[in-house]
Amino acid sequence: MHPARMNLIESKSKSTRLGLISLSLLAASCSMTTINTDQYQGETTTEQTNNGPVAELHRLAISALDKQQYNQSVNYLQRAIKIEPRNAHSWHYLAQSYWQMENYPQCLDMVQRSYSYSKAADHLDRANDVLKTQCLAN
Amino acid sequence: MAAKPPSKTKAKPVTKPRVQVKRPRTQSRLGHSQSKKSASNQSDSRSWRYSFKRYLMGFIALSLIAFSAYLYFLNHLINQRFDGDTWALPSRIYARPLELYSGMSLSRESLKFELELSTYQRVSYRPKPGQFRLLNDSIVLYTQDFEYSDSIEPGRLINVEFVGGKVTGIKDLVSNTALKLHRLPPAIIGSYHPQNGEDRLLLDSDRIPEKLQQILIAVEDKQFFNHFGINPVSIIRALIANVRAGKTVQGGSTLTQQLAKNLFLTSERSLVRKINEAFIALLLEARFSKQTILAAYINEVFLLQQNNIAIHGFELASQRLFKKPTDQLSIDKLALLVGMVKGPSSYNPIVNPLDALTRRNLILRVMRDETLINPIEYAQLIQKPLGTVKRLPGVNPFPAYVDLVKRQLKSSYSSSELSAKGLRIFTPFDPLVQRALHTGLNNGLIRFGQPNLQSAVVIADYLNGDIQALTGDSQVDYPGFNRAAMAQRPIGSLIKPLLLYSLLDGDRSLATPANDKAINIKQSDGNIWSPKNYDRQFHGKMTLYQAFIKSYNLPFVNFGVEGGLEALVRNLERIDLLKHEVVYPSILLGTSAMSPLEVAQMYQVIANNGYFTPLTTIRLVSDKDNRVLDRMPLKSKKIFNQAQIIQVQRAMVGVAEEGTAKYLNSRFKGQTLAGKTGTTNDARDSWFAGFSDRLLGVVWLGNDDNKSIKLTGSSGALRVWADIMAQQSINSFKISRDAALEWHYINRKNGKLTRQHCANSVLLPFIKSQIPTGRSACE
Repeated sequence: MHPARMNLIESKSKSTRLGLISLSLLAASCSMTTINTDQYQGETTTEQTNNGPVAELHRLAISALDKQQYNQSVNYLQRAIKIEPRNAHSWHYLAQSYWQMENYPQCLDMVQRSYSYSKAADHLDRANDVLKTQCLAN
Repeated sequence: MAAKPPSKTKAKPVTKPRVQVKRPRTQSRLGHSQSKKSASNQSDSRSWRYSFKRYLMGFIALSLIAFSAYLYFLNHLINQRFDGDTWALPSRIYARPLELYSGMSLSRESLKFELELSTYQRVSYRPKPGQFRLLNDSIVLYTQDFEYSDSIEPGRLINVEFVGGKVTGIKDLVSNTALKLHRLPPAIIGSYHPQNGEDRLLLDSDRIPEKLQQILIAVEDKQFFNHFGINPVSIIRALIANVRAGKTVQGGSTLTQQLAKNLFLTSERSLVRKINEAFIALLLEARFSKQTILAAYINEVFLLQQNNIAIHGFELASQRLFKKPTDQLSIDKLALLVGMVKGPSSYNPIVNPLDALTRRNLILRVMRDETLINPIEYAQLIQKPLGTVKRLPGVNPFPAYVDLVKRQLKSSYSSSELSAKGLRIFTPFDPLVQRALHTGLNNGLIRFGQPNLQSAVVIADYLNGDIQALTGDSQVDYPGFNRAAMAQRPIGSLIKPLLLYSLLDGDRSLATPANDKAINIKQSDGNIWSPKNYDRQFHGKMTLYQAFIKSYNLPFVNFGVEGGLEALVRNLERIDLLKHEVVYPSILLGTSAMSPLEVAQMYQVIANNGYFTPLTTIRLVSDKDNRVLDRMPLKSKKIFNQAQIIQVQRAMVGVAEEGTAKYLNSRFKGQTLAGKTGTTNDARDSWFAGFSDRLLGVVWLGNDDNKSIKLTGSSGALRVWADIMAQQSINSFKISRDAALEWHYINRKNGKLTRQHCANSVLLPFIKSQIPTGRSACE
């Protein structure tokens, strides 16, 4: 199994805890300033949930990756992105698929998009870091 | 034939013994008592007979050679047709498949529209494949099997529930389980037809309904399985009937002969054609099975004319007339189709319903006589209406989109490949967004009272590059000049977001003081350019933000000469939109021409935080056997700095809140939208480009003759944009959080820090090093 995905899967169980921590940090940082920007700013990310169509497509994509059916996994992930374009996990898995297909420039572009939707200190960033390093090395 | 060459090569040794052998035989016949004269006559006679025989043999040999060549030629014709692609198949263009899932925004009415576009039939009973039933808060539908490039989506009987414009549940009614996701097969939105104008859907021989075969054989050729291509009895019977009537009243052609005529010959009534037809039929029977010939006939036969498109084959005719494949047709409908073979024009059920009904009932009578149906069934079936659609569905109802698909495919596929190879082209076209575009555009244009006013609109998902809807003409279904892709018009102030980005690429921020003062620029041709604000006024002290939202020209030209022009040119190059080698300063005010599609690409990068994602109408191309030829992967390249882009986005939100597009504030209360208006000299072009949380829309209005339309971006294109967006569910645009930025209230006039509730205060993002230092008194 690809090391980045191992990292990701291992850290999946911690995702809820990490998510809560990052949310608390975010809330704390917001409380320090008196300026409320909610009028203009909003969450661009989507939390990973275990239910729903995107989670289902992620499951299918991971299964396809395991079977080395990379075009298939790309198809599932593009469908997921069509439903939830700001889901950092979809972009990360897409990057993994391209890494497996040895399409490294495309892998890097997808990692970049995943970064842009992932939250600071999110476990996903670490998985993206590993993937980015491997894509750059090729 | 095979024995000929050796006899030619040994001509001399063979000829001599032959003459020697013949002489004694002749002598023995004539005897020895004949006179010299008679001997001479005898010799002449022998010589004549000999010559005659030689000529006869030569003639027969030549005839055999000619006949063989003729058969060879006919066989070659058959090979050409059957060994390659038997028919030129039009390429089909598909919309995006609709993903159904619980929680999605989709009304019951929208799903009904989508199903009707996909030629689903509405029924009032439990649906069969290709049918749906409308209930109070749900739709029960039976989807059809669909072969995607990655898998086959089997047809399912499902119930889709709705509450308040949202899907609340999807249930498989056969397994009685809830579905997380179901992909609805995509609608066909257009085709590229061969030059001969033929259109067909191929039916493999194992998919031909048995009933159709039985009816066809009963009506057209009862002895089909018994003859060898031609039916001499049938020909003689037809000949006698025709001689008696003094005109052609009966045909003796078998199905094979009809196929031979349809595939290889013309409809000319001549003996030569009939002979050719007979020999081709014999060859077809010698080479192919009865089932192959029958399948070829069913796919070949001409059944319906729709404008300049000739519909061939039972499958496409069935789908056009009944919105169903042949395997779902009832007996009476199959009978109608078979009846149309004799006269596609005379028995066209939409044009001549009474004649078609009479013909159908005649076919049903034949079926009764042939015991394919019993008398009771016959009595019931002749009472049934024709059951066809009232109007044939349009061949290309979305001409501008289909045209753009072709343009984007042009570099990879030739016109002949597109029109003959039966390619399947999958696009991100969204029928629901296109419908909103149609309705909104019509509503919007009416208000201006200018019948010749032209328009072009592009709507795209800026996050993944999908072009979802498009029109290139005010009359949206008119297949003319595609202005969305082809019209090159000056873009006016639509250039300003990219110019603002270029200006922020330095020490400037949105709070930087702007110079709204006159400026004269000497151009390379010696002329002096003296730009003015649109209202020809000066507006005193202001910030760059204020100059942007009010779209004042002079501050931007003044910044342009301070290095902004070079930065703008660099950034235009990065998105491949720099069109001229020689750049004039007037480019700062959008004198450079672009198409609406190019404008959309420029705004895609801005809306998508600086990520360049090529706008596309193509996602996948496969061949007729569903082998993938091309995948267009999702691309995303970071080309602009996100912190700078966010400042531009904030200024564009300001345009919609309190600037030249503040109309949006009242039209979409509580929604945050971003956009920019554009107007060119003498109000010749009216532009608006704006975006919500996902959708980017670009609207252009103008006249083809370049005369003034007397509409600004605000009074023209902006209204149409709002009318289009009001037709669909859109969500607020939210600016991304970026750690490099801090948000502060500043005074919009002097650019100094201020408090939220002070007059002229505005909340803007700043790169930390550019946060204003001075503090403004609360006015």
